[in-house]
Amino acid sequence: MRGFKGSDIPERSGIQTIDDPYTGETLHAIPALTPDWAIIHVQEANIDGDARILGPRYFDVEMTRAAKGVIITAEKIVSSEVFIEEPEMSVVPGFMVSAVVEAPGGALPCSCAHAYGVDEDGMRRYMELSKTAEGLKAYLEAEDSNLAAGPSDR
Amino acid sequence: MNLDLNNDPDAARRAADQMAVCLARELWDGERVFHGVNSPLPMVAIFLARKLHAPHSVLIEVAGSVDPEPEGLPFSTNDPKLCEGAASLFSNADAYDLFSRGGVDLLFLGGAQIDKAGRVNMSYIGDPAQPKVRLPGGGGGSVIMEQARRVVIWRVVHDVRTFVSKLDFVTQTGNLTRIVTPLAVLELIEGGLEIESAHPGVSAVEVAANTGFALDASRKISVTAPPTQDELAALEVIDPEGVRYSEFSALRRVKRWDDEMLRW
Repeated sequence: MRGFKGSDIPERSGIQTIDDPYTGETLHAIPALTPDWAIIHVQEANIDGDARILGPRYFDVEMTRAAKGVIITAEKIVSSEVFIEEPEMSVVPGFMVSAVVEAPGGALPCSCAHAYGVDEDGMRRYMELSKTAEGLKAYLEAEDSNLAAGPSDR
Repeated sequence: MNLDLNNDPDAARRAADQMAVCLARELWDGERVFHGVNSPLPMVAIFLARKLHAPHSVLIEVAGSVDPEPEGLPFSTNDPKLCEGAASLFSNADAYDLFSRGGVDLLFLGGAQIDKAGRVNMSYIGDPAQPKVRLPGGGGGSVIMEQARRVVIWRVVHDVRTFVSKLDFVTQTGNLTRIVTPLAVLELIEGGLEIESAHPGVSAVEVAANTGFALDASRKISVTAPPTQDELAALEVIDPEGVRYSEFSALRRVKRWDDEMLRW
């Protein structure tokens, strides 16, 4: 890739240069990231793991292509017929997906486009409690019971 | 220094408004512009410019959209709210490709440590092998800073720890034209940063005293044009919640994760 002119990053990170065989331009070759798992939260999935992202995709699609396995968490599980009607809406095909989890509110305390905005109080609670392992456990347990109670109780 | 931005809310509010309009004036009509994550002042400035003098600019949002028109601005500059009102999405991968082919005119970037040559450290304070502070990193700046046609840096702290004679680490460099701070606008001329203008009520001597590298004292320095009534009125319309104030500790509703980054 093009970049890093005058930067200390390549030397510190061990990133090597390579000459473009067509133009001769010196570029950087970044080693591939190959995580074991990509866990991405989407608005809609079906039970086969086909997934739709409504709204911005950030780097979620790239992550599913890089990882060895993909876990989809979804606001809603919808029928496969809906996916078949508009296959162009699917950004992750089911064959790449190891597991699908129905998880309404699964992006909280962060936002999920078309579903909910940032939960500022929840974010503050998470920042405070996640400083310790016990705190994080308490936070997660409280969130679990919140989610079980349904969205009307938040 | 007579500006106490950490404790005087009025001074901080004036500085934020001044910075927002200075940044907005950097965007010319018709240009393609991009800001990064955690960039409240540039985000507000771009929406301000688009409302006033740059209605035909193209905003490529880091949140993944083109020319959004949200109702009000979010405090997170990566919020999906910044896709509302957009007719198309444009992912971060798309944006990087566009930068790579020279397709972005103006880029707003932050900078934790900056030297006379306008190089930027966003990585480490202290020895990189055993850093005193680990900064958040350049977030792609080491690639896109050299690819944007112009780069404008903003920082809400102007002190000798920010503007240093020697960086602890060079994260990124390239195509810098100006730096906007609560005290002044610095300009990169012939490879070195100098004061272009000092904000109203700030003297060149104060700017120099808060800058850790030498500035040319013989240069003619103007006073930054203060915000106009039109600019202030437009700011209130596009940013009624005061997102532009959120980077100043005196005006902040809650402690932010990057407070430490501002005071190492």
